[in-house]
Amino acid sequence: MEHLGPQLFNGLVLGAFYAIVAIGLSLIMNLTGTINMAHGSFMTLAGYLAYTMVLRGTSFWFALIAAPLIAVIVGIAVERTLVRPLYRREPFYSLLMTFGLSLIAEEAYRLIWGANGVPFAPPPALNGALGLGFMVFPTFRIFIVLVLIVALIALALVLTRTRFGLRLRAAVQDTEMIAALGTNTQVLYAVNFGLGIFLAGIAGVLAAGMLGLSPTSGNALLMPAFVTVIIGGMGSLFGSIVGGLLIGVAISMTTLFVPAASEVSMYVLMAVVLLVRPRGLFGEEGIFG
Amino acid sequence: MDRPSLSRRSFVTLAGGAAAAFGAPAFLPRIGEAADTLKLGLLEPYTGVYAAEAEYETAGFTMAVDAWNARGGVLGRKIELVKEDEQNDPGVAAQKTRKLVNQDKVVALMGSVSSGVSLSIAGASNALGTIFMDSGGHSDDVTGKNCHWNVFRTCHSTWMETHATGYALAKRFGKKWFLITPDYAYGHSLETGFKDVLSHIGGTIVGDELTPLGTTDFSSYLTKVDAAKPDVVMVLVQGDDYTNCLKQMNQFGMLKKYPVAGPQVELEALYGLPPEARGGYWGIEWYYNSDKTLGKNNAVAHKFVRDYTARFKKPPTARSCFGYVTVDRLLAGMAAAKSTDPVKVARAIENVRFTSIFNGSAYYRKEDHQLMWPMWVAKIRPNGTPGDKYDLFDVTDIEAPEAVEQTVAQKEAVCKLGYP
Amino acid sequence: MSGRAALAAGAAVLVVLLFAPLLAPLVKLDISIVSEVLLMAIAAMGVNLLLGYTGLPAFGNAAYFGLGSYGAALSVTYAHVGFAGAVAIGTVAGLLGGLVLGPFLLRRRGIYFGLLSIAFGQVFYFVAYRYTDVTGGEDGMNIVRPAVEGAHAVVSDSAFYYVAFAAFVVCLAAFRTVVGSPFGRTLVGIRQNEPRVRYLGLNSDRFIFVALLLAATMTGLAGALFGLLIDFAYPLELDWHQSGDFVLMMILGGGGTVWGPLLGACVYVIGKDIISTITPLWQIFLGALFVACVLGFPRGILGTLEAAVRRRDAGRFTDDDVNAAFDPNAPVEVGRGA
Repeated sequence: MEHLGPQLFNGLVLGAFYAIVAIGLSLIMNLTGTINMAHGSFMTLAGYLAYTMVLRGTSFWFALIAAPLIAVIVGIAVERTLVRPLYRREPFYSLLMTFGLSLIAEEAYRLIWGANGVPFAPPPALNGALGLGFMVFPTFRIFIVLVLIVALIALALVLTRTRFGLRLRAAVQDTEMIAALGTNTQVLYAVNFGLGIFLAGIAGVLAAGMLGLSPTSGNALLMPAFVTVIIGGMGSLFGSIVGGLLIGVAISMTTLFVPAASEVSMYVLMAVVLLVRPRGLFGEEGIFG
Repeated sequence: MDRPSLSRRSFVTLAGGAAAAFGAPAFLPRIGEAADTLKLGLLEPYTGVYAAEAEYETAGFTMAVDAWNARGGVLGRKIELVKEDEQNDPGVAAQKTRKLVNQDKVVALMGSVSSGVSLSIAGASNALGTIFMDSGGHSDDVTGKNCHWNVFRTCHSTWMETHATGYALAKRFGKKWFLITPDYAYGHSLETGFKDVLSHIGGTIVGDELTPLGTTDFSSYLTKVDAAKPDVVMVLVQGDDYTNCLKQMNQFGMLKKYPVAGPQVELEALYGLPPEARGGYWGIEWYYNSDKTLGKNNAVAHKFVRDYTARFKKPPTARSCFGYVTVDRLLAGMAAAKSTDPVKVARAIENVRFTSIFNGSAYYRKEDHQLMWPMWVAKIRPNGTPGDKYDLFDVTDIEAPEAVEQTVAQKEAVCKLGYP
Repeated sequence: MSGRAALAAGAAVLVVLLFAPLLAPLVKLDISIVSEVLLMAIAAMGVNLLLGYTGLPAFGNAAYFGLGSYGAALSVTYAHVGFAGAVAIGTVAGLLGGLVLGPFLLRRRGIYFGLLSIAFGQVFYFVAYRYTDVTGGEDGMNIVRPAVEGAHAVVSDSAFYYVAFAAFVVCLAAFRTVVGSPFGRTLVGIRQNEPRVRYLGLNSDRFIFVALLLAATMTGLAGALFGLLIDFAYPLELDWHQSGDFVLMMILGGGGTVWGPLLGACVYVIGKDIISTITPLWQIFLGALFVACVLGFPRGILGTLEAAVRRRDAGRFTDDDVNAAFDPNAPVEVGRGA
């Protein structure tokens, strides 16, 4: 049982990752019904940009913010030109479109940064382990949790305390009404998409430091993020947080007790949730009825 | 149904679309196609997770083919490589195999990185009666229970990897091992190999942790190491799991506390790791900068490394060596057989001793078609050497193939080559 | 008249397919890739029945495909059955998969049906991946293509093509019959308005279950034949990417049309084969194909052209037209293309 503590912590770190990716997905899905299969590609993009920046001599801290911002610019450009025309169509089309984009992106990364994985290390200050007597935590993981918490609080403040957040939440409820009341919904869509990509970008840079960076690495996190959205409930950001943590813990606990089932555990969890409570733990009825 | 909606016009379009799809390749001549060249089919995963390995392997193939063409080719014909992307998918690989043999009329097939793809090409090429030189798929089955008369394998078998490193590391550090094993096919066969080594030398496994593929956190396994007090910690995990495992071992200070070792590591993977995750002793299959791997006075090997580095702007890896040796021996076989007839070529490759770009001599064993060549163990230099960031290995041991591969008797029990 | 013309055109396509072993080499295509097109078309037909006609997002059909493939491979390896036996066992394995998953999948509709399908599909994937002793795990399993029962000749690649062709024709005929029958019209009715179908006294669950079993059987057949075509079974056949490929083929060709899956499979399989030979950057072109398809052929190639011809107003779609292929409230002719 001495592994329970560390394993629980690790499950939570993993879960926090899934949560932040899932929230980005969820933001985009809620407002526009777009299932963004290219979300993982944007994570990888931010990771590679941060890698290049650090290689050129900028600090890790600068890259942690700047790389996701550049990914946001690319993201908004993609949204304006390719995704926007599909908003009034069935979700299949944006799914097909973004899947196509993710194929193109993977190949583009291979062309630009090479097929080989590249080394991307967190700065030395974050590279040790923190001993707490009874267990040891790698510093970078604690840092990851802190960054993710800050990002989530910031997001919550944006959504609840700003005019933009208010409009966004209103638009999710009734886009036509908010448009009639004079809000430029096109700007809202673009900014919302950018916000989702920004979260993906942050997660992408952190994941590059923890898990390694290669043209295919971001896509590995995509499926768990989708499962997170489903378990937490579509339409609920709080649900995504709970869902992510739940999956993280489920994976780490099955790893410890039933190793053979660790990969399949999140899918089983998802199937159970869908059967018992299809809208997810905190989801709203009606979205994607 | 007074008006069936699938009109004549749309059917014409359907037929036209189908015709366009069928007809397209006729208008697209292959680049470099010339009359009467000798075509060799090369199947590599240029997309997907093994794309880097595929690149290095292809560079090795290219080097050897160019060298043969510079000498006038083989059987009086120039050699042409016809490349196909097998996409790291056994199904695609089987189909591309047929395409290469039936449509492109290649006289032999080579390539691949993953074991599944190698096994799939081996089966398909056997049905077609075409030589397949497996350059880089490591599964024991390729030269074991799924062996075929037409299949030769250049890289080492899993059994060779575990036995070479096992014996070398037991001599160096001791016989009490702690294993961190990935819980899938490849991991299980490595585990079996190591257990066999220990049964021969009277060693013990003091811990064996089975970790699921995709484990991001190894701390719960690593914390068990201290209690077990092993002589060596054997890390069998690969890919991203390897990265995570080594990073955490470093964070826990274990790289300094225990000898950390494993059956195999590839330079391609190490280049993707930050220096702090590089460490320990590993089985390697070739190296560009050591007399132990190249042979002190082996001019061919040293020239290969020089030319390769000049041409591709980075040094070759073991994958490049696989590619070079594979096509070089295939062409030598054709030259000796004075024919491209698969059976004659296969017979001409078997049991012929040769020297190449590695230390010492080797041969493709007659009974199972496994290349019998040495394996090495190296200590990792995390930051390379001054002036060469690629120079990550300090080669420490060399193991002769006969001592580390299963014996002929063991192989004959499972492998029936089945010549026609 | 036009009904007869359509019939003639369909017959023409079948005649071309009948002579494919003679025609394919002329354009440097291997006959086995044409076999693959037909098998993928059968699998895409399975998606079409569920998604195109009934409106259920079948995102996990690779489960039946892989069951078929492993069913054939395992029965050849461990029970040494002949060719026909392997095909039969694989097909039944697909059907059994449908029987087991059906009762769970039936409980959900819409996107939730799709997600549930993915979840169950992944469970099968990981079983194949992990159960190394039996399935060969990640490495997959080699088989030697068995001879037909009673005969001793191995089924050659060209002979195999006719097996695939026969399977395709049988499935196509069954498919046409089903979607043109009252049963098929009820499926379309379920897509348009399920509560109304129930209100009419029909147990829609039962209809969906039968459609699911039909799709699972067809997909199992395709999987079994694919396993025997490449003489190999491997876990990726069960993965969600494979399911996605089937859906893409259907959408590419045109959902809710009889011939769409064949066209989609043809463009996807042969297009990928050709482009990946020409350039290692084939993913860029494949990705661009999806983008172009979404922007230029929103109802699939066949569906878009059909609609264009009907309206004589090509290239001027409203989004509502586009959605009509999936929109429950759009007016759709029942038994379209039948």
